[in-house]
Amino acid sequence: MARKPDSIYRAFDRKASAIVEFTLRQYRTKKSTWVVLGVGFIALALIFLIYIDVMSSEFESIDNDGDSTDYDNDGYPRGQEIRLGTDPWDSESHPGLFDTPIEPEPASMYINEDDFDWDITSKLGTQTTGIDDDGDCLNSNKTSSQKDTNNNGIPCDIIVEYFKSSDGNVYTFVSADSGVDEDPDEDAYSREAIHLAFVLSIGKLGFVLLLGIFLPLFMATGLIRDEMTSGTMHFMLAKPIARSEVFLYRTLGYLGIVWPYVIVLGILGALISGFVGSGDAFFRFADLGVWLAIIFATMMATLVYGMLFNALGVLWKYGIILAIPFAAWELGMALLSMGAPDAFLLRFSVIGWALMIVDSAAMLVWPNIDLFILMGNWGGGGDGGWSFDSSLEGSAPLDFFSSKPGLGLSPFLGAIIATLVLMFQAVLFWFIGGALFKGKEIQ
Amino acid sequence: MNSPEDTPPQAPLDTLPAASQRAPEMEAIPNEYDSAAPVTGKIRLEAAWGSTEGDEDLSAANVAPPKSDGQIFKHQYKQWNGVLNPRWMRNWAILRHHLLGVFKKGHRPWGMPIRLYLLVVFIASLSDVGMTLLSGLIGDSGLHSIWGVNRDNLYGHVLGFFPRNMLYYPVVAALLVGGVISEDRQHGTSALYFSRPITRFDYVGMKFLSVAVIQGLIILVTLALYYFAEIATMGRGWAWIIDTFPMFLATVISALLLIFTYTSIGLALSSVSKGKFFPGIALLSIVLGTKVLAFIVSNLFDREILYLLSPYDCLAHVGQAIIGTQPTYDQYSWTWSLASVVAMNAIALYVLSTRVSSMEVTRE
Amino acid sequence: MIPDFDQQGKAQTKEWVPEITAPAILLENVSKSYGRIFALSNITLALNGGVTGVLGMNGAGKSTLFNLLMGKIKVSQGTIKLFGTDPWKNPAPYARVGFVPEHENMYDWMTGHGFVSTFARLNGLTRDEASIEADRVLEFVGLTDVAHKKIGQFSKGMRQRVKIAHALVNDPDLIILDEPLQGCDPLARTTIMNVIRELGRMGRTVLVSSHILQEIERITEQIVILHQGRLLALGNLHSIRERLDQIPHRISIQSDNPKELAKDVIDIDEVFGISFPDGKNLSIQTHNLGAIHSQLPRIIVENNHKVSTIDNPDDDLASILNYLTSGSGL
Repeated sequence: MARKPDSIYRAFDRKASAIVEFTLRQYRTKKSTWVVLGVGFIALALIFLIYIDVMSSEFESIDNDGDSTDYDNDGYPRGQEIRLGTDPWDSESHPGLFDTPIEPEPASMYINEDDFDWDITSKLGTQTTGIDDDGDCLNSNKTSSQKDTNNNGIPCDIIVEYFKSSDGNVYTFVSADSGVDEDPDEDAYSREAIHLAFVLSIGKLGFVLLLGIFLPLFMATGLIRDEMTSGTMHFMLAKPIARSEVFLYRTLGYLGIVWPYVIVLGILGALISGFVGSGDAFFRFADLGVWLAIIFATMMATLVYGMLFNALGVLWKYGIILAIPFAAWELGMALLSMGAPDAFLLRFSVIGWALMIVDSAAMLVWPNIDLFILMGNWGGGGDGGWSFDSSLEGSAPLDFFSSKPGLGLSPFLGAIIATLVLMFQAVLFWFIGGALFKGKEIQ
Repeated sequence: MNSPEDTPPQAPLDTLPAASQRAPEMEAIPNEYDSAAPVTGKIRLEAAWGSTEGDEDLSAANVAPPKSDGQIFKHQYKQWNGVLNPRWMRNWAILRHHLLGVFKKGHRPWGMPIRLYLLVVFIASLSDVGMTLLSGLIGDSGLHSIWGVNRDNLYGHVLGFFPRNMLYYPVVAALLVGGVISEDRQHGTSALYFSRPITRFDYVGMKFLSVAVIQGLIILVTLALYYFAEIATMGRGWAWIIDTFPMFLATVISALLLIFTYTSIGLALSSVSKGKFFPGIALLSIVLGTKVLAFIVSNLFDREILYLLSPYDCLAHVGQAIIGTQPTYDQYSWTWSLASVVAMNAIALYVLSTRVSSMEVTRE
Repeated sequence: MIPDFDQQGKAQTKEWVPEITAPAILLENVSKSYGRIFALSNITLALNGGVTGVLGMNGAGKSTLFNLLMGKIKVSQGTIKLFGTDPWKNPAPYARVGFVPEHENMYDWMTGHGFVSTFARLNGLTRDEASIEADRVLEFVGLTDVAHKKIGQFSKGMRQRVKIAHALVNDPDLIILDEPLQGCDPLARTTIMNVIRELGRMGRTVLVSSHILQEIERITEQIVILHQGRLLALGNLHSIRERLDQIPHRISIQSDNPKELAKDVIDIDEVFGISFPDGKNLSIQTHNLGAIHSQLPRIIVENNHKVSTIDNPDDDLASILNYLTSGSGL
């Protein structure tokens, strides 16, 4: 047959694009495709709605050090009385009795009046930081020992010590002089912490875990198996095309619908969280890096799981029964990676590597996230005599959902290695699936 | 000669004997071993083909009359006057067909992997029974305090999330409901049911019951074994039994609720789908997916409202209330969860009933 | 394993050099067994050019033979060559082969043209070439006017013709049709038969399977008869018929006293040979089974022989042909 000269696109528009296009059109005719994609969208949209609702409401401000209260009912809050040297417990002693009487200040001035001013990096050793914004530590009425309750010779500072314990883990110790950074701004902190935790949790659990496992489970398991069951595989295999190629192009067709879907959902997520999220900026451009990593990690996860589940479908008529326990294993690994990102078992999972990409990106984009969690856990009064939990809202979930990329690598290197491993896994599963398919007798 | 031309002329149609008398027809078939027939291979072939060349006129061949060695019989349809078995007996046949399929061949084939998984789950569900027996045997009270029968352990046996409601019971339900209705639609075997005196309600009811009973065999039997293991090994008396029986009963009720809910959601999915795998994965993703989403929301935003969408969490909340353990959902009353469970079942059963009543009895 | 990067149509599993002189189909001592059951046993066959009908009952091994040829299943013993190449794990020869599977399931959501042109691209054609090619083959099978309708709306005969069109893409040298006439009405049957005969006339090697001799007879005289996995007959239909006449039939009679019985039986004219395989059996050879069977009872009864069984041991070919010709497969 005479071939007429083709444009470059037309020239390549042969086998691969035929099967990919065919697979896409086949998905389009299946109702289950639209149900799965629609339900995935609705589920994520629901969470985003709750996120928007939380972000648009005010976080309650708490007076952590209690200096806005007027204990002696003389009309002056405790903070003002301490600053001006009167007795906060004695109603007969207040600034109104001064020679030049001073008007009482509103109690709100003494709520969130001393926010965090930390300027350190998370490295081993002892560092000092912190500024007493409201002057209740630098108060001239205090003696120098009262100004240096943590006994490091520097008045009104905070000691942050990173040390390695005998078990090899890095722990922190925070000791502040009384009255330094003791009343942080809950709204600012919690809003930021919950935003960060939201991006991480929706990215890791919502995108990489749920979309990453369930989309392939629904859509990739039958790529070859359904055709074999219905007998329509014969049409494809009667053509001069290697079976591993059919396997590859079918998977590419599946990615042709899953990847755009993940990308669109990811961009929507990035836009919503970028506009709604905390901060004064109109749009949180920095977060885009993390969202990019989330989209990329989800794409890699759907690729590897797609190849794997497709191969399981080729292997056995009941491939789904092998895939379900595997999906449960991956769910467990996802939760394990939140707590112990260095766990050895994670190296035998797909999701462990995919989450490593997200963790690495979070480390790159938000380098101070560890310090931020530390501040929130300390919460302005974690030292010494305070017996109650002073951590701020949002720091615990952020602590839970964020983790360092495993293997003790730098974030950048970690992301690259995780990507390479995932690609290796995808190629491995393709080879296994192709080899299984090649040796399969099809009736 | 016994070629078609020489067959004796047939009797006219209206003088034919009744259909029950088949003897004349047998004689009408040309006997190739007839005495008068010096039959050869050639003649036999040509007699049957009626052709000598391979390429005669095709249109003529197509309209050629059929071989004239057949007869047409009158069909007389008689009403069947037997006694129909009672309805429960017919239903029992369906139920039995499904249940026995788990244990032996010749009944509904459940598939080896599914049966294997049922066995694994059954044995794994006996873990607390084994530990109770062990603690009784070695007399270790510490072990018994962890594994013995108490409120929390009874709750945990049925409604604990990990591993039971993550790896065991929803997966079992998913594997069971997978093909129960969708395979009938796919293979056209629903016609075998509906061509018999079976109403659609009976059909779907027995399907429901069979799936539920198989789950019950795993959940309820292991629960009862657990309770009796405690009585046997610890030598519990009547006082203890009277004391703990209400909470055992409450556990049974919450287990029934769990089985019913998983089954109705699963069967609804099975009735809307043609494939075998879709209902199973969909049930799993509903149970585990809503759980994970609600977990994210409650952990991040401290709002538990999404738990109302998660079948497992609603069941767990109701179970906590009726068994009497410490509730882990404290932002709303357990009656909301109960209402949610009822609503889920209502929607699922509505979908199931409309799908089954409008099901076409053909191979799809 | 390596994907076909240039996408030109040759599947690159192995380097493939077509042997110009090799026959289209060559099977040597081919057996296929499933456990202890032989679906095909010891088939030796070479075909090149012309239309060949593969006849056999259900389960005779027709589909197994085609699946072996199409590399769907692996031979247990023997060798299979398509144009000199073993098709198992090597799809390269399919560039010259068209296959019509017997399965009824098709992609109902595709149009006839879409189906044919999409799968034509798997032969290494570009989109434009495939579209032109699809028009050509659809016209060849007479579906031009419905080419852009959905396959789901097609009648059975049209579906079969679309399948044939799909197999004719790229002008293959060998066309294998598995039960192409199954379930078609007479008109569709005639059309499909014409298409197949036309292909034969064009010099292609065509393999058609059926379990109805009448159908095959209208297409071709060259037949292969399979029965229970064995090759029963091969060659021209007429010569098979003539040979069938010349095959002596055997009748095996089990009796208390075969020698006495033989004395009486030898009187029948049509008997031309008698032998005693063992002490209890008598074997009669004849060209006229019917005559023997009509006289045997009388002889046995008159002479008071005790006979336990009478059977025709090598009636396979006769009975299979009888089955095939009776048309009961319809």
